[in-house]
Amino acid sequence: MEIVVCVKPVPEAETRLRVAADGARLDAEGVKFVLAGYDESAVEQALLLKEAVAGSTVHAIALGPAPRTEEVLRAAVALGCDKASWIEVPSGGSDDPLDAARILAAAIRGLPHDLVLCGKQAGDDESGLVAGALAEALGVPGFGYVVDLRWDAARSRFTFHRAVESGQESWECPGPIVIGLQQAWNDPRTAKLPAILKSRKATITKIAASGAAASVATPEKFELPAPRTGAKMIEYRTPQEAAEKLVRILREDAKVFP
Amino acid sequence: MPEFSLTPDQESLRDLARKFARTEMAPHAAECDRTARFPEEIYRKAYDLGLMNLNVPTEFGGSGLGLFEQCLIVEELAYGCAGMTTSIIANCLALEPILLGGSPEQRRRFLTPFCASYQLASFALTEPSGGSDAGAIRTRARRDGDAYVLEGEKCFITNAPHASLYTVFATVDPERKHKGIAAFVVPRSAKGVSPGKDEEKMGHRASSTGTVRFEGVRVPAEDRLGEEGDGFSIAMRTLDQTRTPIGALATGIAQAALDLAAAYSLKRETFGKPISEHQAIQIKLANMAQAVHAARLLTWHAAWTIDHGGKGTLESSIAKCFASDAALDVADEAIQTFGGYGYMKEYPVEKLLRDAKLTQIYEGANEIQRTVIARELLRAYQ
Ligand SMILES: Cc1cc2nc3c(=O)[nH]c(=O)nc-3n(C[C@H](O)[C@H](O)[C@H](O)COP(=O)(O)OP(=O)(O)OC[C@H]3O[C@@H](n4cnc5c(N)ncnc54)[C@H](O)[C@@H]3O)c2cc1C
Repeated sequence: MEIVVCVKPVPEAETRLRVAADGARLDAEGVKFVLAGYDESAVEQALLLKEAVAGSTVHAIALGPAPRTEEVLRAAVALGCDKASWIEVPSGGSDDPLDAARILAAAIRGLPHDLVLCGKQAGDDESGLVAGALAEALGVPGFGYVVDLRWDAARSRFTFHRAVESGQESWECPGPIVIGLQQAWNDPRTAKLPAILKSRKATITKIAASGAAASVATPEKFELPAPRTGAKMIEYRTPQEAAEKLVRILREDAKVFP
Repeated sequence: MPEFSLTPDQESLRDLARKFARTEMAPHAAECDRTARFPEEIYRKAYDLGLMNLNVPTEFGGSGLGLFEQCLIVEELAYGCAGMTTSIIANCLALEPILLGGSPEQRRRFLTPFCASYQLASFALTEPSGGSDAGAIRTRARRDGDAYVLEGEKCFITNAPHASLYTVFATVDPERKHKGIAAFVVPRSAKGVSPGKDEEKMGHRASSTGTVRFEGVRVPAEDRLGEEGDGFSIAMRTLDQTRTPIGALATGIAQAALDLAAAYSLKRETFGKPISEHQAIQIKLANMAQAVHAARLLTWHAAWTIDHGGKGTLESSIAKCFASDAALDVADEAIQTFGGYGYMKEYPVEKLLRDAKLTQIYEGANEIQRTVIARELLRAYQ
């Protein structure tokens, strides 16, 4: 099975984000970009399928500027992806998720693919649009919010569930398909030290960016949420004391109950 | 010109250790400290990720890292929990004598099967009668045909109760002092080897420290490292290698103390403003930051010196001594910044002080480091 997994460099969770001077984007200066969140789950899912289906290949693909994009691809290789391709676009380019999907689709069309995996949304802008748009651009079925993706070898089709409001849908579909993954049903693995060192020497194939249309959507303004005021910290020594103080506040100050 | 930025390779190793320390070690640090539990499941994970036999070349199944990379990893691990780090890096200490003193055949024979699965080893030098004066050890090795018979007791041995392999230093002739010491590789399974119980310790309580008795233990002569009189030199050269990572370990403790103190100072208010706005606290934080920075740079420099073929005795002694003193000072000031809460076990800073203390004692007490520093220094003036 030929699996393509799309990964995106996103700011590390602990990074303090600042808005750039023009107010229309985040300042990338000094920000550490990593493979994280749903994309980690997508890679994990790809590797689980590879382990389950003999002869499979996992090809990680990413779109973005140097050096961060190359770094997340190396991280994907360290986790166990067999190949990595980098579509270099300059930093500060289009932020339009539809553009990203078009460019990825143009590249993926040239690669063997039975399954294209994405995280359900990127860990930074959380647009959640790329998987769907990618399916559309490739002209293949696409599914979002997928869990428990498996390959039914006897019937040559993928089986999976979609978590929906108050229930679960069960699906089956032959490839090629695009899947936006809710989460892996296993914890994403951690790359081992020898694999990390080996990934530093791995070949990252460059693919020229093509397929972008004139982007219509551009972000206008980024704002940090205003700091909230009015929170009251209760100091306490024992849980009993905390509860007593809380009850007194609820009763006397907030008058939630008499 | 020296280069102070990390390569992408080094950054990715540091990131691995950082993630492991913060997600696997730190969440269990307080509990293991309180109960003195030896979290073997965490050590097993460290092994699986390649964070354990850092100094062993890859051809024998280790991670094959230089000292600089080892230091990057050790600092991050210690940030998560110094005690666990002591147990994780004890293999490096225990296996170094085999790397330094073993023949190619011995290295293959001992290291390859050892590194192929999760196992612990201990470096057994210190004895109840003394640790600093390693030339005066009393454990005897009597030659008997094609074997030696070991008789004696070692104490304060990291991981001893859990180890499957020991590198043991013993004298073939106490009269010959340093020149009579030999180094041996002894499996736990050898008849007459009996590790004692875990000692109750002030800090590093997630680590295990204990005695090992050797009662009529027969060790084949082919398991001796180097010649009979090489043991002392093997031990000292081992410590020349492993001292620098102790500087890194101390730096990790100090960095954790600084981070906790700085974050707390922004939140805690007295006299109507955060204590970070009182100059006395600012001066404390500034001094702590200087100590952490200097400790790290001295450690990096010592590691760099050794990685570039230098002996590094002076540099590693300075790094270990300075960083461990800094760790104790910074942890102390972190407690002071926390005020009464700092003294409470419920908060994480008092543990850092107890953990920092050990770094002044083991792998050569700081008094000995200063003796070494002075000796190396004075040589240049004679
Ligand atoms: C938790 C822990 C783990 C350890 N792990 C190991 C291990 O894995 N393997 C191992 O072999 N050992 C280990 N040790 C032992 C450690 O290395 C020794 O404790 C240390 O070397 C000091 O030896 P000592 O305790 O016998 O003190 P002593 O040698 O008795 O020294 C007592 C005091 O006198 C000072 N002193 C001694 N000689 C001089 C001198 N010439 N000039 C000035 N001052 C001097 C010392 O600095 C110290 O302050 C460990 C110790 C601890 C506490």
